[in-house]
Amino acid sequence: MNQRPTRREVLGHAARGATVVGLGGLGLYLARKASGESVWQINCDKCVNSRLGAVGVEACDLCATDCVLALSAVRAVNDHAKCGRCYICPAYFDIKSAVDEEGLPSQKLCPRDAIERKPIGWIDPDDPANNFYEYTIDEKLCNGCGECVMACKEPAGLTSIRLVVRYDLCLDCNRCSIAIVCPDEAYDRKPLDEHEAAG
Amino acid sequence: MKHRFDTQARSAVKPAAPRGPSPYLLSSLLLTLGVARLCTPAALAQQIDYARPVDAAPSPEDIGEGYALPVVQRPLPRPVWRETADVAVLLAALGLCAWIVLWRRNRRELVLLTIICLLYFGAYREGCICPIGAIQNVVVALTDPAYAISYFAIVFFFLPLLLAVLFGRVFCGGVCPLGAMQELVVLRPLRVPRVLDKVLGLFKWVYLVLAIWFAARPVETRDFVICRFDPFVGFFRFSGPTHMMLIGAGLLVLGLFIGRPYCRYVCPYGAILSLLSRISWRGVTITPDKELDCGLCAASCPYGAIRDLRAEKSSCLFCARCFNTCPRHRARGQTETAPQGPSQSS
Amino acid sequence: MQYHRQRVISGKGVGRAEFAEALRGLAVDAQDRLYAVGDSKLVVFSLQGELLESWATERPGYSVAVTTSGTVYVGQPGQVQLFDPDGKPLDTWRDADRMGLVTAIGFGGDFVLLADAKDRCIRRYDQHGKYLGEIGRDNRMKGFLIPNRHLDFAVDAAGVIHAGNPGKHRVERYALDGQLLGHWGRFDGRDPAGFSGCCNPTNVALTRGGHLVVTTKAEPLVKVYTTDGRLLALVGQGDFDPNCKNMDVAVDSQGRIYVIDTARLQICVFAPADSDSTTQPAQPGAGETVRP
Repeated sequence: MNQRPTRREVLGHAARGATVVGLGGLGLYLARKASGESVWQINCDKCVNSRLGAVGVEACDLCATDCVLALSAVRAVNDHAKCGRCYICPAYFDIKSAVDEEGLPSQKLCPRDAIERKPIGWIDPDDPANNFYEYTIDEKLCNGCGECVMACKEPAGLTSIRLVVRYDLCLDCNRCSIAIVCPDEAYDRKPLDEHEAAG
Repeated sequence: MKHRFDTQARSAVKPAAPRGPSPYLLSSLLLTLGVARLCTPAALAQQIDYARPVDAAPSPEDIGEGYALPVVQRPLPRPVWRETADVAVLLAALGLCAWIVLWRRNRRELVLLTIICLLYFGAYREGCICPIGAIQNVVVALTDPAYAISYFAIVFFFLPLLLAVLFGRVFCGGVCPLGAMQELVVLRPLRVPRVLDKVLGLFKWVYLVLAIWFAARPVETRDFVICRFDPFVGFFRFSGPTHMMLIGAGLLVLGLFIGRPYCRYVCPYGAILSLLSRISWRGVTITPDKELDCGLCAASCPYGAIRDLRAEKSSCLFCARCFNTCPRHRARGQTETAPQGPSQSS
Repeated sequence: MQYHRQRVISGKGVGRAEFAEALRGLAVDAQDRLYAVGDSKLVVFSLQGELLESWATERPGYSVAVTTSGTVYVGQPGQVQLFDPDGKPLDTWRDADRMGLVTAIGFGGDFVLLADAKDRCIRRYDQHGKYLGEIGRDNRMKGFLIPNRHLDFAVDAAGVIHAGNPGKHRVERYALDGQLLGHWGRFDGRDPAGFSGCCNPTNVALTRGGHLVVTTKAEPLVKVYTTDGRLLALVGQGDFDPNCKNMDVAVDSQGRIYVIDTARLQICVFAPADSDSTTQPAQPGAGETVRP
C-alpha cells in the first residue's frame, strides 16, 4: 500500500485532474452566461386569438389543451391601462345570449367563470350603467382557453386581454408541446427580460 | 496477469454509419423535418388600421374617486426552491448511491434508493429536467448566444459527470429514472455476445452526435431529439405520443430479457459517462478485499460488464448484483466494522 | 324598407383606390356630391363615383361637413380646417384642448358643432370659431361613453342634435343649449333592433325624411330607425369587411346611404328600393336587405 505511485497512477491522476478542470471550466463558462433564463413566450402578433384582422373565427384553445401540466401554464391577462372598463364587456358576457331583466346578457363567456367584474371609481347608486367596471381574470381558475382574448379583440373590444405563459408555472420543456402544435407558430423561447415581465 | 482495465479503451469513437434500429430513427427524423418545412407559417392577416389617436381607455381621472390603475398581473419569479430541491436530491442521491455500492455493498439499499429516485425524478418531476436532455441545453448554450441556460441545467449536466470521474457510472446505478424503470423489470437477462454488444453500443455515440447536431442548429431548424424520442417520459406523464409509448413499452419488454437495453445501447449521456468512467478514481470491485480469481462472479452481471473477472468501469451500471456471488463478500457478512472500501483503480 | 347596394366607390380592388391608409369621414353637399376624408386629403366624388376634386389637408382628416353655401369643414386632431368649394384653404381653427380629435361636425342654427373624441363631448362654436359652450358633459360620466374613441352626431332641421352614446348603447337627443331632451336604444345581442357589442352605435346620420341612419361594428351593419327608436331597415348585412370600426355614414337628398368600409377603404352606396323612402314604415326588426 505504501509503494511509490506507478506511472499508470500518475497518468490516471493527471487525466482525472485535467478532466475535472476541463469540466469545471466549461461549467463556469456556461454559468457566466446563465444570469438570464430562456422561457417560452407567446408572440401576440401571431397568435390568432390576439392577432388583429382575424375576426369571426373560433377562439383557439390549444394553449389550454396541449400543455403537459394538468392546468395549463398559459393564462389570460387583462391590461387595465388599455381596458375600456365598459358596462357590458364582450369578454365577460356572452353578448349573444338573451338579455335579462336588468338589460345585461344572461350568460357569461368564460367557461370557468374566471373573470371578476367590479365597479370602480365613483359609483352611481341608482344606475349601474353609469359606472366604470374593472375586469380581472382570476389566475387560479383561468386555463388559457382564449375565449375572452378573442372576444376582446378589435373591433369588438380594445384588445386589452392577451394570453401569456406564466413562467413560474411553466416547466420550460425543451420541446413545448403547445409550441409544437400552435398553428400560428406563436411560441418563442426568449431570454426573460425583466421589462417583459409585465405579463 | 492481464491488467484489470478495459482493454478496448478508445479515446474517441468514430461515429459509425447507423446500424440496427437507427435507420428508423434517421428516417423518422428526416420525415419530421420535411413535414415541418412544408407547413409554412400562416400568412399574417391584412394590416388593419386600429391606431388609436387618443387613448380609448378611460383615464383614472375620468373614473374618479381616487381610482388607481392596478398593476397588471405579472408572473411570479420562478420558484427557485423547486429546482434547488432537485439539485439537492440529485447530489444526495449520487452520494448515497456511491456510498451504498462502493462501501455498503448492499443491493437491497440500492433498490430502495432506486425506487425513491424513480418516484422523485420520474413520478413527481415527470422526468424533467434530466441530465440526458441537458446535453442539448448545454449545446444550445454554447452555439446560440441568444439562449440563456439556467444554472440548474448546468448542474444537472455536470454533476453526474463529476461523479463519473470520481467513482464511475454512479448516476446510472441508483439515480437515473429511465435506468430505474428498466432496472426493475430485469427478469432473465440473457448474455449478449460480446461483438454484438460492442457494435450495438456504438449506436449511443451516433445518437449523441445526432443530438448535438440537431441542438446546434439555428432556432428555426433546431430540434431536441433526445426529448422527442424519450421512451419513458410518456410513462412519467401518463400521456404521450402513441408511438413513443409503444417504443417505451417495447423497451421494457425487451428489458425483461436483455438488461437495460436503453442504457447500454441508446443513451447518449451514457456514452459520455462510459468514456469518463474509464479514468475514474475509484470503481466497483466485486470482491471487498482479496481477489481470489475464482470466477464465481463471471456470470452474475446482467449487463455484461464483467470482463476477465473484473468489473469493467465503462459498462458497470452500479447495480450491486455481483457482490452476493463473491465468496469473500459472504465470508465477511453484511455488516463490517471497518470496510476496506473500493480498491484504488490505478 | 328595402335598400340594395348600388355601387362601391374607390377602395382596394375596386377601380382606383383613392385612400391608402385610412378613410374616416363622409359628407354630402347640397348638390349630392360626396366628400370623403382620410389619409391627409379630401376627395370629392360625383354621384356616379367619379373623382371630381382632391386636395390636401394639413393633418389627417377625421370628419367632414359642408354648409349650404359650400364651405367645407374638415375635422382633424387639434384643429378644424375650412375650405372654399374649390379647395382653397380659408381658415384654420386651432385649439389643442377643445379640439383634441374632431370626429364629427354639424351645423345648427348659427352655430358650428364639433365633437371632440378626446374629451368626449360636443362643443358649440360660432361662425368665426369662437367657443360658446359644451353639450353632453353634464352627466355622471362627464361626457359621452366612447370606448371606440369616435363620437358622432347629426343635427336635424329643428336644431335637435342626435348623438350616439355607444358605451350606453343609445342615441341621445340634445337641444342646442345642451339640455338632454331624451334618448332611445338599448343593449341587445340577439335582437337586431337593439345594439350589440360593447359600444354601438358608432356613427349617426339623418335622412331628409327625418329617419336616423346608424352604423355599428363587430358585425358591421347599417340600420335605419325612426327618431324614437323603431327599427325600419337593416342595410348592408354581410357587405362589409368584419374588421370595420367606426364607419362614417352620410345620406343624400334622394335617401341614398353612403357608408365607409374602413377596412377595405371604400365607400358603399345603398339606394332605397323604392324612390319614396320615407313613407312606408316597416315592422320593427324586419327588413332584411341587400342583394348586391
